[in-house]
Amino acid sequence: MNQPLILIIEDEESLRRFLVPTLSGQRYQVLSAATAAEGLAMARSHNPDLVLLDLGLPDRDGMAVLKELRTWSRKPVVILSARNQERDKVRALDQGADDYLAKPFGAAELLARIRVALRHILQADLADPVVHGGGIRIDLEQREVRLEGRPVKLTGLEYRLLEALVRRNGKVATHSQLLSEVWGPGGEGNTHYLRIYMAMLRKKLEADPTRPRHFITEPSVGYRLNLDARED
Amino acid sequence: MAAAPRPVLVALGSEARALRLIQAGFRLAQERSVPWIAVHVELGGVDLAEDGEQAEVWLQEAQRLGAEIRIVQAPTLAQGLSEAVRSSRAQALLIGRSRDRWPWARVGHSTANELLRRGLDARIEVLDDRRGSPGSDPARTGFGAMVGTLAVLAACTGVAWLVPREGNISLVLPVYLAAVTFIAHHWSQGLAVLASVMSALLYSFLLETPRFSQVDAHWPNLLFFLAMLFAAQAVVGLLHRLRQQAREVERREVHTASLYLLGRALGRGRTPEEVATTAAEHLRRVFKVEAHLLFPEGSSWRALPSPGPLLDLPPPEALLPRLDAGERLGDPLEPLPLGRAHCLSLLGTDRSEGVLLVQPRESSAPPPETWELLKAFAVQIALALERLRWLEEARKAQLENETERMRSTLLGAIGHDLRTPLAAIHGAAGSLLLPGDLPPATQRDLLTMIQDESERLAHLLGNLLDLTRLESGALQVQKEWQPLEEVVGSALGRLERRQGPLPVHVDLPESLPLVPLDAALMEQVLVNLLTNAQRHAPGKDIELRAWGEPGWVHLEVADRGPGIPAPFLDRIFDKFFRLPGAGEGGVGMGLAICRAIVLAHGGSVHAEHRPGGGSRFRVALPLDGTAPAPPEGSP
Repeated sequence: MNQPLILIIEDEESLRRFLVPTLSGQRYQVLSAATAAEGLAMARSHNPDLVLLDLGLPDRDGMAVLKELRTWSRKPVVILSARNQERDKVRALDQGADDYLAKPFGAAELLARIRVALRHILQADLADPVVHGGGIRIDLEQREVRLEGRPVKLTGLEYRLLEALVRRNGKVATHSQLLSEVWGPGGEGNTHYLRIYMAMLRKKLEADPTRPRHFITEPSVGYRLNLDARED
Repeated sequence: MAAAPRPVLVALGSEARALRLIQAGFRLAQERSVPWIAVHVELGGVDLAEDGEQAEVWLQEAQRLGAEIRIVQAPTLAQGLSEAVRSSRAQALLIGRSRDRWPWARVGHSTANELLRRGLDARIEVLDDRRGSPGSDPARTGFGAMVGTLAVLAACTGVAWLVPREGNISLVLPVYLAAVTFIAHHWSQGLAVLASVMSALLYSFLLETPRFSQVDAHWPNLLFFLAMLFAAQAVVGLLHRLRQQAREVERREVHTASLYLLGRALGRGRTPEEVATTAAEHLRRVFKVEAHLLFPEGSSWRALPSPGPLLDLPPPEALLPRLDAGERLGDPLEPLPLGRAHCLSLLGTDRSEGVLLVQPRESSAPPPETWELLKAFAVQIALALERLRWLEEARKAQLENETERMRSTLLGAIGHDLRTPLAAIHGAAGSLLLPGDLPPATQRDLLTMIQDESERLAHLLGNLLDLTRLESGALQVQKEWQPLEEVVGSALGRLERRQGPLPVHVDLPESLPLVPLDAALMEQVLVNLLTNAQRHAPGKDIELRAWGEPGWVHLEVADRGPGIPAPFLDRIFDKFFRLPGAGEGGVGMGLAICRAIVLAHGGSVHAEHRPGGGSRFRVALPLDGTAPAPPEGSP
């Protein structure tokens, strides 16, 4: 596990030429495949720690590859998609992808997403129940939220929404994922609930709610909580 | 020569029934697969100029249907026709029976009879088109009429009996005159002739004194009596014809007027639906029929105006060929009977525009003499539909032109903007690959340039794609009710992540309602407006504010840039429009994208001068529909 193995399934040779050396240079082991069939075979034989999956493959729909991967692997999958394919992104995320990158993307963005995706999903509630960053401190065990050291009072739903975002550890959560986690099954139609609660969370936890640094909106996709915002 | 088929000859005059003769001739020639000839006889000096012109029209119509045209000059019709028959070796001659002849002229002296007498080697067919014409109901010469005639005569004789006469014919005559007139008027001229003879006999046997004497004693009186009665009868016949003509003229006037009204109403139709509704209305009024326009749609019919006809129609592939068969029979508009209904092809100039289906509301079909008018209606409707189709085609052509023009503008405008960053990237990469060491600072410079320029390229391409997809309608607006704040936040976030903090002052009132919008698209609008403001007023403050009014939410991005000259305030939203002297920067797509997105939301966007300098862009978004209920427990 010292050198996580990343499998790239991408048919564009120029992208592979950029991805392979970039990731190798960051001490990752890299495998690459140009077709869905090849990619799935490699995934089975090498069991990579993360898969970078392009949605537009020549032989099979990327979504089908994702579904098949998910039948036997829980390892993180990051989708590479063209811009403006919000619906595909949401579908892929709801099908079990962990995150997505819209082309064109830069090396820094790519590495950041991979770092986030490789963090263990359950790290938050197993290793350390307390997460903090950007002046916010959230104690999942004590159910306590502090902003710049002062306790912040959240309503039950606000807290559950915050917790759902925290547990994703910086990865994007789609609207429907958040709705079903916070409001339970059947809440999917009420995206506006989610938006109103997100606005209330921002009012309580963001310095300037119109310039959110932590509660990031991914338009038409969902939200992500970014507590490391100070870096960039 | 002997093997050549003998043609069919059709004699055309100037009368309207010539059209039927033409069709009959065409049909006959088709049946026998022989050529046919339309012949017109010019009677030296007798024809009127108008008649000649009308005959010309019919001849042309015949020519259209493949007839050979022949004009013969002769002293009489029969002579001219027989010459034509002989010279063409025709196997059959079609002539129409004239309505405009004296009754006695029909007996023995008609052109047909004269031709028969001439012993021509051709069958002579007389097309009797009087059937079904007004005022010639065959029932009127039936048994009832006969009894009526006898009753009237008996009554007259009774009355005359009572009149003191003493050998004075002048007292009896008016009674019989009245009776004969009545009979001629009410029943038929044949009966009136019979009644005249009977009256004369009755008079001489019963009324002339001494009674029951030999007829020859009263010859002078009897002859006088008979002559008077025939004269009366002739006058009645004349009147009758005049009345028929007057009725015909009246009917035509009504037809012309209804055609005019239809034409005018159809001219206002802008869609096939409107045309169909208008047509159905007029047809219902004039013919008392239910009418529908049918348009083939795959293997079924689309009927307008809906609800469609209740009739089980054969599918288009079965019905259309049968309608086309009408063309083979000389009249493409000939109605095709279909149960109780009739179908007429709506023939435009170059193709069929659809099918007109008429169903009589009462049990009886419209009388035959209205078919011509119905056909005229069909032609009008077809022309109206054709006009619509042509308009649509013209519109499409114009659109294609526009698109073509746009494409060339695009190539011109984009070419330069795409090539510049590409040249920079290509150049920088080339220098990095040159042998020899570059100082690390220079290397870094070049690499940064590659990154910046490729981002610029990506941005440009993104805009181009957005615009294309927005304009082609491929991009669907997915509105969801959400706080405006979130869109503002993500737009600012996107910009500031890219280029650091921006001097944007945001003023969103707490009381703003949820707004139905497509978050991804509206974010694009805000990003474009803010980028635009930043480009024209670099480093200066930008105000972003929003306010609500009933039914609408307004959003404003205001800058302190140089402002937009008044003539360009409207044009800056046009594709590829750049302010003169604006220098490098955008390609004139950002604002066009804004407008396309806002319009797709049902809103509006405009630019105006900002008091105190600069410009401001205002977006109005409709709050259409009802906002969803806020979740429980929210403030």
